[in-house]
Amino acid sequence: MITAVVVDDHPVVVAGVRAWCALADPPIEVVAAGPTVAVAWLDPGASADVVVLDLQLDVTGPAYGDLKRLVDAGRQVVVYSMRDDRDSALTALDIGAFTYLTKAEGADHLVAAITAAAAGTPYTPPALAGAFGTDERPQRPRLSPREHQVLIEWFHSESKEMVAHRLRLTVHRVNSCLERVRVKYANVGREAPTKAALVARALQDGLITTDEL
Amino acid sequence: MEQRLLRNGLRYALGLRTVVIGLSSTVYLVLGTAPDRVMAVAVVLTLNAWSIGYAVALVRGSRRTRRWLPLADVAVVCGACLTQTWTVVSDPSGGSTWILVVVNLVVVTYPWQVGWPQLAGATAAIVTAYFVGATLADPGGWLADPAIGPWTAAQAALSWGLYRFVRRGARAADRAVDGAAQLRRAAAIAAARRRDEREYLAALHDTAAATLLMVGSGVLARNTPWLAAQARRDLRELQRSADAAQGETDLVPLLRDAAGTAAVHVTWYTPDRLPLPAADAVALGRGVREAVTNVARHAGTDRVDIRVDHDPDQVTVTIIDRGVGFEPARVGPDRYGVTRSLVERMTRIGGRARIDSRPGHGTTVTLTCPRVVTDSGGTDRDVIAASFQRGLRWAVVVLSLAILLLLDLARLLTSREAYVSLWPQLLTWAGLTAVTLAVGVATWRDRPLGRWRLPLLALVFGLSALATSSVRPEYLLGPAHWSEGDAGWQVVLLMMDTRIAAFAAVLAAQYLMTFGQAALAGEAALSVAGAVSATWAVLAFQLAIAMIATVLRAMAGSSAKALAAAERVRTAEAVARHLHTDRADRMSALATTTVPLLDGLARDELDPGDEAVRRSCAAEAARMRRLIAEDTGTADSLAHELRACIELAERNGVTVSFADRGTRPELPPPVRRRLVEPAIAALATARGGTAARLTVASTGRSVTVSVVAACQPPPPTPDGDGVHRSTTVTGGRCWIQANWQGEQ
Repeated sequence: MITAVVVDDHPVVVAGVRAWCALADPPIEVVAAGPTVAVAWLDPGASADVVVLDLQLDVTGPAYGDLKRLVDAGRQVVVYSMRDDRDSALTALDIGAFTYLTKAEGADHLVAAITAAAAGTPYTPPALAGAFGTDERPQRPRLSPREHQVLIEWFHSESKEMVAHRLRLTVHRVNSCLERVRVKYANVGREAPTKAALVARALQDGLITTDEL
Repeated sequence: MEQRLLRNGLRYALGLRTVVIGLSSTVYLVLGTAPDRVMAVAVVLTLNAWSIGYAVALVRGSRRTRRWLPLADVAVVCGACLTQTWTVVSDPSGGSTWILVVVNLVVVTYPWQVGWPQLAGATAAIVTAYFVGATLADPGGWLADPAIGPWTAAQAALSWGLYRFVRRGARAADRAVDGAAQLRRAAAIAAARRRDEREYLAALHDTAAATLLMVGSGVLARNTPWLAAQARRDLRELQRSADAAQGETDLVPLLRDAAGTAAVHVTWYTPDRLPLPAADAVALGRGVREAVTNVARHAGTDRVDIRVDHDPDQVTVTIIDRGVGFEPARVGPDRYGVTRSLVERMTRIGGRARIDSRPGHGTTVTLTCPRVVTDSGGTDRDVIAASFQRGLRWAVVVLSLAILLLLDLARLLTSREAYVSLWPQLLTWAGLTAVTLAVGVATWRDRPLGRWRLPLLALVFGLSALATSSVRPEYLLGPAHWSEGDAGWQVVLLMMDTRIAAFAAVLAAQYLMTFGQAALAGEAALSVAGAVSATWAVLAFQLAIAMIATVLRAMAGSSAKALAAAERVRTAEAVARHLHTDRADRMSALATTTVPLLDGLARDELDPGDEAVRRSCAAEAARMRRLIAEDTGTADSLAHELRACIELAERNGVTVSFADRGTRPELPPPVRRRLVEPAIAALATARGGTAARLTVASTGRSVTVSVVAACQPPPPTPDGDGVHRSTTVTGGRCWIQANWQGEQ
């Protein structure tokens, strides 16, 4: 059974995440939840497979420091934030978050993101795809035109079926494009356990070749 | 700029002086005659050696050297003046003597070397010495012409006037540049403050938005005590946000919240309440949070005093612990993480942070925030860059008219015997006066000379040739040949705003033409040495004006640039301020729709399991999220139009989720209209009670507006203005995109 720990100071959000996880198939057990990141460092949260981390917008600003410490300890972190902007998402990914989800995407994507994080397979929800697709920083990875197109269409749409239909691709092809992009981002990101795992796995599965990195 | 100008001006002045004195005295030695040749050689060599040494010493010397050295120079020049008995021949056909050139040059270049009282003293001393020397050499004769006194004084005054004028220009340019820099700093501070305030407002709304979002997504089947408690908390936060949107928030509870998370015991010394602009309160709150966290981590104590003091000028928050302390000089900024980020954060909003610590004596962190934001007023607006150049042109117009009216007219009327006939002289005089007046009128009306420059130049050359041709050969280049040097002033006027090389070339051409004419006519009034001496003095002055004009042009350019930059900053700042206020207003307007919902949940009157309640919560959450995500820095007309159409759809009961990614290029209005049209059509026909997704993705050269909604498929429309539309229909939902590809 997949286990998760939820760091969020908002009781309604925690209740929502618990409800979604309980209904998931296979079910996800929320072993601990609390308002500060301490809950992810202490038992039973310390042994959870996945950390769902709110970036905690408050007077002190986003909790990138907490995120960095968790990532460095080898945790799989799903950032789950109210912030819906490109730079927050790209920063979290640079630090080594497994994926970035806006709270509005929770109902549709949180369970899938936790499952993917536990399995170590890339997961790119639409808001993050939009951030990748419009990334103009000099250190961004080189994407193929097709990958770029899939990212933007996925950002605009509501389902991968729609993207596949529109671009006349298979859903499988859409998924593999998104995964390749994620691996490319991991490859240019900070040295972190997430990066090593994602890139190694992608090479093993033949999703991407060393030439493309 | 002023410093650079003074330095360069001094160098130019000394260079000019050294070269002209050197040339005129050497030419005289080689070509002229002297009563006592040995003495003359000795004086010329000594004077030139001194002149070079003086120039070098003045440029390299210390401040003290610069103060006394000119005194010595005055003494040397006076000494040279007294040697006229041996070094100068009284010969009216000589035009001028080399000593007179030296006197002129020295006096004219002094304003760059000494202050005005010294200048006046030096001029008086040198003129007196000149007269003593001249009277000894040629009692009551041509050398001791009484007109030389006032003329030298006038030249000194004129040169000083030009110097002051250029310096004022440099100062104004400096002020303009400083003003622009100051404005940029003020704008940066204002932007940082707005960003903090925006984040604070967003944070306050965040919690309420999250509550509504989760209720809207339907995870809660019924009301629970903790949901009601959360809704009450959200209401309180929204109240704070309403206060903050009005610009003020209470610092005291905010500090208590900020310090509350760390595991230390705080003793507070604060006023009951202290309303402050939200940006200041937030910055102080963050500072306190950082300082207190550091106490918990490093100070080895769990007690801390926090004190808040305020007066009309500033608010001071002091965080004092009696822990282990540290040696600020020895501890790297990263080890005691507080230092760098704290200082940077406070400076960013125009405040200060100070950290005092000593090993064993605890640490005191002092955060200061000014209460009045200094407004860098726009006093430089009146500095018009071109005005200095205009002023210089005026000065030369006045100078030329003075020369024409006071000197030349008198000279040509008293030297009738020197001319073949008088009318060409009078015509030339009138013509040159007319040219001067024409330039004066152009300056007054602030019009460039433009295509009039060449015809006027040709006229001046023609007049000069005419006047020269009517001078009897034996008077050529002598005092009666007034047009020889003075026609140069009109050339100066006409060429002043051109490059210095063109200026010098045209001016030289004018002189060479006259010399050529004189050479062709044969026996001239002046010996060649005399002609060179006479010409140098005027030419040097004319070239100095060209130099000053060039310097002024550079200054005008940089101050104009600075002023333009300042204007841009002002405009951008005004726009940003407007956007910010607008957003804050919309934030507080949210309360009218959000508060009743939260209130209902808090009182247990609304059931989160009820479909209608969920829908309203989802819609409200979408609105709040949109507002929170909106960055006033990137809000443009497209975002504005889309917002209007979303608000319309929301009134019809459509919940719109909106996301905007990327930096947009400036869009031409027809392109914008074509991009927004499909979204308007889709959202207007979307069925009530459904959800729609509206997204904008922009990369450097492409913008796509996309909408997914349960709506009528739009009628096919032709592409245009580089905007391409496409529609896909899947399972009753339309996905319409409008994409614009800009030029690569």
